[in-house]
Parts: sequence; C-alpha cells; structure tokens
Amino acid sequence: MSGVITRPLREPFARRTWAEALYLVLTFPLAVAGFVFALVSFCLAVLLAITFIGLPLLAATGLAARRLGAVQRWLARLMLGQQVAPPPPFAAQPGLFGWLGSALRDPASWRARAYLLVKLPLAVFTVYVAAVCWGVGLFWLTYPIWWRSSGPGPVRANMFLDAAALIFRGVSSTGPRLAHEVTVHFREDVYADTWPRAVLVQLAGLVLLLAAPWAVRGLVSVDRWLIRGLLARTRGSERVRELERARAQVVEDSAATLRRIERDLHDGTQAQLATLAMNLGQAKEKLEHRANVPFDPAGALDLIDTAHRHTKEALAELRDIARGIHPPALDLGLDAALATLVARSAVPTVLHADIRDRPSRAIETIAYYSAAELLANVAKHSHAEHATVEVTARDGALCLQVNDDGIGGAHPGTGSGLPGLNHRVRAVDGDLSISSPPGGPTVVRVDLPLHA
Amino acid sequence: MRVVIAEDATVFRDGLVRLLEERGHPVVAAVADGDALATAVAEHRPDVTVVDIRMPPTYTDEGLRAAIALRREHPGVGVLMFSQYVETRYAAQLLADNSAGVGYLLKDRVADVSDFVDALGRVAEGGTALDPEVVRQLVGASDRAQALNAVLTAREHEVLALMAEGRSNAAIAEALAVGEGTVEKHVASIFAKLGLPASHSDNRRVLAVLHYLRAG
Repeated sequence: MSGVITRPLREPFARRTWAEALYLVLTFPLAVAGFVFALVSFCLAVLLAITFIGLPLLAATGLAARRLGAVQRWLARLMLGQQVAPPPPFAAQPGLFGWLGSALRDPASWRARAYLLVKLPLAVFTVYVAAVCWGVGLFWLTYPIWWRSSGPGPVRANMFLDAAALIFRGVSSTGPRLAHEVTVHFREDVYADTWPRAVLVQLAGLVLLLAAPWAVRGLVSVDRWLIRGLLARTRGSERVRELERARAQVVEDSAATLRRIERDLHDGTQAQLATLAMNLGQAKEKLEHRANVPFDPAGALDLIDTAHRHTKEALAELRDIARGIHPPALDLGLDAALATLVARSAVPTVLHADIRDRPSRAIETIAYYSAAELLANVAKHSHAEHATVEVTARDGALCLQVNDDGIGGAHPGTGSGLPGLNHRVRAVDGDLSISSPPGGPTVVRVDLPLHA
Repeated sequence: MRVVIAEDATVFRDGLVRLLEERGHPVVAAVADGDALATAVAEHRPDVTVVDIRMPPTYTDEGLRAAIALRREHPGVGVLMFSQYVETRYAAQLLADNSAGVGYLLKDRVADVSDFVDALGRVAEGGTALDPEVVRQLVGASDRAQALNAVLTAREHEVLALMAEGRSNAAIAEALAVGEGTVEKHVASIFAKLGLPASHSDNRRVLAVLHYLRAG
C-alpha cells in the first residue's frame, strides 16, 4: 500500500527516469541527422533513379541506415537496457549486381530507414512533452515567487496553454518583462492572485512534475516498441536462423554418430575378428602336419579356446554397437525400450510410463537416447542411489523427466553430453530444462512434440 | 628376425606377439602409438616393424606418418603397414621413393599365418609385400589398366599382380601351381610387352611394375 503512495513521489528521482531523460537528449541529434539522411538519400536516389547511380545510391544508403539503426540499438541498450537481437548480418550475393540486388532487397535496411523517418517526429513530440511537464511543473510549483515578485498586474499567461510559451519566452527575455506576465489566470477574469489560489497552482505544478516521468516513459515506450518492431530481428529471420543452426547441428551430429560407429567397429569388432582369424589360422597350421610348423594338437586347442572367447566378446560388442545404432526394443514402443534401458541402468531406477498417443519413430528415438544419455550421466556423475524416469505422451506433447537423488551440480553448458542433447532436442523444437542445485536432487526434463 | 609392433588394439597386438614368438621371431617391443614406435625402434634397432595405420591420438594416419619418418631415419628397418582398409593414397605415399623393405597388408591376411610370416620376412630382408587388394586398386586406378587388359593375357595379368605384391618367381609358381620356368617365361613376356627393362631382383621389378602403373 505504501508503495502505491510513495512510488509516484520517488519516481522523478529514480535512476530510470534520468536514464530516459538522458536518452531523449542524446538521441535527439541522432534523430535529426537520421531523419535528414533517410529523407534526403531516399529522395535523391529516386530523383537519380533514371541515371546509373540512383539504385547503387539507394542500396548504399540503405546499408548506411542499417548502421545508424545499429547505433540506435546500442544507445537503447546502453541507456534503456533494452536488449534486442540484431537482424542477421547483411549477406551479399557475389558480384556487383548480386550485391546491389541483395542490398535493395534487404528488409533490415528498409526497416531501419523507416525507423529513422518515424523517430524524429516521435523525438520532437517527446522532448516537447518532457519540457512542458518539467518546465511548467517547476514554474507552477514555484509560482508564489514569481507572483509575489511581480505583484498583481496585467496577465497574459493562460493556465494550461500559454505557460510553456511563457517559460521559453521567460528564459530569453529580461526580468521586468517577465514580471508583468506571470500571474496565472484560471478563467478570463479569475486570477491566481490570492494565496489560496496560488497554492492551488502549486499543487497543480506538483502533480505535473510527478506526472512528467510517466509521460516520458510512455513516449519512450513507443520508441522501444519501434526499435523492437523495426530494428530488431524479425520472427521470420530468427526462425530461419534457428532452423539453419538446428539443421547444421543435425548434419554434424549424424556425421559424428557415423564416425563413432565406424570407430567402434574398427577398434572393436574388426580387431576381434582379425584376432580370431589369426588364432584359427595358427590352430589350423598346427594340425596340418606342415613342414615348417610342428604338429601340436594341444597348442591348437588352446588357440581355438582363445578364438572361442574372442568370438563371444566380438558378439557382445557387435550387439552393443547395433543397439547403439537402433535399440531393437524401440520397435515395440518407447515404454518397452525404456523399460529395457532402465533395467540395465547402473543406478537402481524406476520407470513410470504413460504413453497414450504413440509418438513418431524419430521422436521415440530422440526420447530414448535422451533417457539413455541422462541415465548414463546419473551413473557417471551424480553419485545417486536412486533414479526415476517418467515419460508421458499425450495431447500432442511428450515429456520425459529423469530425476536422481545425487549430488546435483549438473549444468547444461558443460560436458557430460548435455549440450549435444540440448541441440538434438532443439532440432525438433523441443526443450531441455535442468534443475540441479549443488547437493541435488537433479531433475532434467525434456519436452518434445509428438511428431517431428 | 626381431620385430617391433605398433598396434593400439590390445587383443590384436597380443595375438600378434604370441604368433610371432611361436614362430621364433622375438618381439622386442609392442607399443600402441607412433611416438612410442619411434622410441622403440631407436632403442631396439629391429629388423622389421609391424605398424597399424590408425592409432591414437587422432585415429587417422599417424601410423603411416610414423612409418614414413621411420624409413627416413632408419632406412634399414623394414616397415609392414597393417590396416583394416586399403587406401591407395597411403600405399602411394609409402612407396613414393622406394619399395625396398616396405609392406602394406590388410589385417585379414594374418589369417593365413604362414603367408603373413613370409611376407613379414620378405619386408625384413628389404623386399616388398603388397596386399593383393592394394595391387588391385593400384591397377584399377591406373589409366593403363585398359591397355594392360588389351596387351596381356589373363595368365600374364595374374603374374603381374603377384609380381606387384612382391613375390618371387618361386612363390608365384607355387601360387599358380605351375613350374618356375613357366613363370620366368611369363615375366619376360610381360616386361617385353610393357617395354620395361628386365630385372631379376624381386624388389627392383616390383618398383618397375608399380612405376609403370602409377605413370598411367
């Protein structure tokens, strides 16, 4: 309750108010320059359009407008704390005509130009309102001084409209003239020339001064809105960027996966099988009564035994690699696959699955590998004693949550596979969120659409 | 012969050590990467090294690079590259200046133990041992392959391939189950048809054949 009362009183002295006032003052010259530049360059380019420099001029000044927009964004960030994502950098197609075409079609340039044209009228209006509010407010607040010093006399100032003019005139004119002109009147014949009336004027001044920050804030908000609308990256370009990033990540990921599988096959299975062939070749020669190899059934048996062992190891490794490529249990559904996964987990884990709508195969695979990765993290890093995996799929959304009672401290930006997981989830417009305070517990939640 | 092995897959390395020791060839060092190989060779001065191409840290071609450095620093030490894959580019790099004491075999070849040990022995003595797959790729990659097919008979083609692998006339005769005299006649005919100077040293003629193929 006290805030409602004291806030308006504190506001004129708030840091934000001064920052906004400073912003107005500092961006005013830029607004003038930008307006002149945008208008003149555009008109000049249109007039010169019949010559060969018209279009290049339009293109070049468009890019320059983009730069001015960047300066404006920088000022807004510095003084208003307004963070907006800049539009994607200008990307020219090769060749002079490619550059020209790209520059003329660059939406960010045109939007920046539009901003420069709109900014000046807004800035003028805002500065006017600010000057009136603060100037007149101060004047009215201190009204008894002027009134008393000039005494009752001929009056020119209309209470609401002429006051600002009077301030400006007052600043430029000498004292005695001011003295004649400062008695405020309420109506044509009602003057604020008595103390109660003077106090009323003062109160009005106070209200005006208190209202000033809000008026300025409102108009600066319009500017913020323009910056967001015209100088920021548009949703479309943002989306394109996001998708490009996601696509690059997916391509990179699948290449990395293939490399990993090749490495696993090369270092594991192929080496095992080559060794197996070697052992069997040796054993065979020991049984062949060859000239250069003594007949040695015991040695051969020993080698066959080794080969037998290698075969079993190779089979197990091959099974792991195959499962790494595609877990067979996924064919039965996500819950079946997760049940197998949970059963193999090193940390005792409970699964709660509620899958009402079956997700697409791609989503199931991502969800499965997310769970596998998260459970592997639990086993490796968390020192947890218990973990749970919850998965629900209904109403068009899949939610996977892995909880553990470990030491916490998991961070999305650091190792342990979380960044990669994040990329994979985002590639299908999913979301990964982590809550892992030091000391635990850790909750990682993966939200995915049902169909990618 | 005294052998140094550089191979990062433990199970394969151990198997190889056992095989060679059993055949009476002491393995003086068995290491797992290129740097360790250089150190081991400098220390033990073996007759021959068996080098895996893909080893840590990058798992690309460090074995090959280590082998090329090895041949520069210790020209007398034979190098048998051992790989799961045949890359013609690797073979070409390895054989760039000189094929004496160089081998390049697929790991599969170890299944025929005696052939493998023979090949290793050949490399240790300054000969050459190229995998049939390497030869096939070198021949296949050659623009002269077509010309070869037109000029050589099927049997001469087989002999050429076996020559390129680095085999002696006796070994070729055995592989084709013909007399050594027959092989000699085929070899002479091949050299005449390709316009190569006749050479009796196995190693020199490998070089001649490879040079002929690479020139294509």
